Amino acid sequence: MVVLEEPIKGVIELKNYVDGEWVKSEASETRDVVNPATMNKIAEVPVGCREDVRAAVDAAVDAYPRWRRTTPLTRARYLMALKQLLEENFEELGRVVTMEHGKVIDEARGEVRRGIENVETATGIPSLMMGYNAEDISRGIDETLIKQPLGVFACVAPFNFPFMVPLWFMPYAVATGNTYVIKPSPWTPLSMMKLVELIDEAGFPPGVVNLVNGEADPVTEILENPAVRGVSFVGSTKVGRDVIYRTGAAHGKRVQAQCGAKNFLVVTPDADLELTVSSLMSSFFGNTGQRCLAGANLVFVGDDHAFMDKTLGVIKERAAALKLGYGLEEGVQMGPLQAEPRKRRVVGYIETGLEEGAELTMDGREYSCDPYPETCFLGPSIFEGVALDMAIAREEIFGPVMSVLTAETLDDAVEMVNSSSYGNAASIFTRDGGTARRFQYDVECGNIGVNIGTAAPMAFFPFSGMKDSFFGDLHGQGSDAVDFFTENKVVIQRWP
Amino acid sequence: MALVLRTTSQIISHHARLETESAEGYATLAERHPDHRGVFKRLADENQRHKARVERAYRFGVTDAYEVGITSTQLDPGEYQLDDYADDSLEEDLATALRNEETLIRFCLDAAKTSGELLPDLPDTFEYLVKRKRKRVELLGSLT
Repeated sequence: MVVLEEPIKGVIELKNYVDGEWVKSEASETRDVVNPATMNKIAEVPVGCREDVRAAVDAAVDAYPRWRRTTPLTRARYLMALKQLLEENFEELGRVVTMEHGKVIDEARGEVRRGIENVETATGIPSLMMGYNAEDISRGIDETLIKQPLGVFACVAPFNFPFMVPLWFMPYAVATGNTYVIKPSPWTPLSMMKLVELIDEAGFPPGVVNLVNGEADPVTEILENPAVRGVSFVGSTKVGRDVIYRTGAAHGKRVQAQCGAKNFLVVTPDADLELTVSSLMSSFFGNTGQRCLAGANLVFVGDDHAFMDKTLGVIKERAAALKLGYGLEEGVQMGPLQAEPRKRRVVGYIETGLEEGAELTMDGREYSCDPYPETCFLGPSIFEGVALDMAIAREEIFGPVMSVLTAETLDDAVEMVNSSSYGNAASIFTRDGGTARRFQYDVECGNIGVNIGTAAPMAFFPFSGMKDSFFGDLHGQGSDAVDFFTENKVVIQRWP
Repeated sequence: MALVLRTTSQIISHHARLETESAEGYATLAERHPDHRGVFKRLADENQRHKARVERAYRFGVTDAYEVGITSTQLDPGEYQLDDYADDSLEEDLATALRNEETLIRFCLDAAKTSGELLPDLPDTFEYLVKRKRKRVELLGSLT
């Protein structure tokens, strides 16, 4: 058993980063940050308060005029310096993510890589934020579009990708000339602390990027503070729609709220078995099911029961062999859920599925995670005989649970997908191009996979989402992010 | 329970261990056989480059989306162990070196097959190393 060295020693007392300085929160109360695999306490994070956010926003407001006047190329060079430091600290960052979240080291490194990818993409800002012009719209008159920054932006980050998600937003915000406030999840605040240490080391001017830890009060201040021009959020639909989107919009802010999901993965009988099973395993059980792109409902199309039985047989065989444990142990394939309440929620759904009459053919509650405490661990579960009106088929579980459904035809499968209130992701597994095209054309989801289990857009594409999975107009990453963080100004000019 | 290599991270780590051990072996041979010091030192340096090449391919290719943690094919590290160099003749040492190169080639071939399922960028790198290592086998053969 090879356990990689833990980068966090002892218990860290987390501070905020405001105006280029590490400062204590005005709130005296703290909560523990716990490694969910070992249950060791690794940090204390302040619950935060509105004053903390006000100080950070004030610093960001003060820094904005100078940062806006800094040329896009120079701003990009700060990001290049950050990218270099991220590469140098790549392994440590991955291990910190594993320690605070529980995901296995391969997954944590993948998360860090995607975060760096966004920094890399944002370094192209001198080209990305170019406007356009038209000469002689009337005789001697030219028209030009200029993209300008707006001021202070903020993000409210989730626990499930604590390092990557803030980087869907922050690099584009500061590259376009805005200043920024990051509010990490209080469950997983350590990788953001490390990121901001590197931002400090890269020499970003004070106030350009600020970090405020905490729970609900700091979020309320972000949403209500008039100096904050826009908010990015990733998390549950309930909070994203009912709190972030509504309150933010009521206070005149731009909002992008990327929310919950219930993703369908549709398999046709002509699918490549090996490729399909590998993709399904990763999609349903990777990151212990705690991602908004995770597979939730597996739909077999047609009446080829032999194919379905064979596919499920291979999935069960591989799922049964999955090794659970501490993600810093290199041979571990599945880590714990991020915290005990999350496990309790998933176990609750397993009990609900049984009450609803679905057949639990693989029970994640029976897995061993020896020698680690069972508190947050749960193995993969598979329900068969699931009906679309069951809660386990409709509601987001956010854990390693696969619900198996059947559809007579492709049209029926598409109808099932579209009956969901969510519209984050959907995938089809087929060898038939026509089937794939019909699926991608008809399905009402933002991220579509064709023979891909986890349809995660690259940094230079927007991370899409529809219906109850997204509230706002412009998504994170790529050109959407550039548009979100800039205002289009049109100039019409004539020179006599 | 016997150790098996079932994750990308394990495969990369085991490969790094093999390349490091191989480099240390060639460093020993460079001291022991001064007539061929240049060749052995070059082979040791190349081991380090091979190790770095695979680590880079992994680091630059790993993502949050592919099947990095779950493989259907598991490798037994016991099948890929390098032999020690006995304090012996050049002929014996070259025979050991050739066996070790073949072990590394076998590992790279198997890792290429397994890692294709895990991380699309890795198989090409392992296959490239196989080509390079076959040239090393030819070079070692020419010393006998």
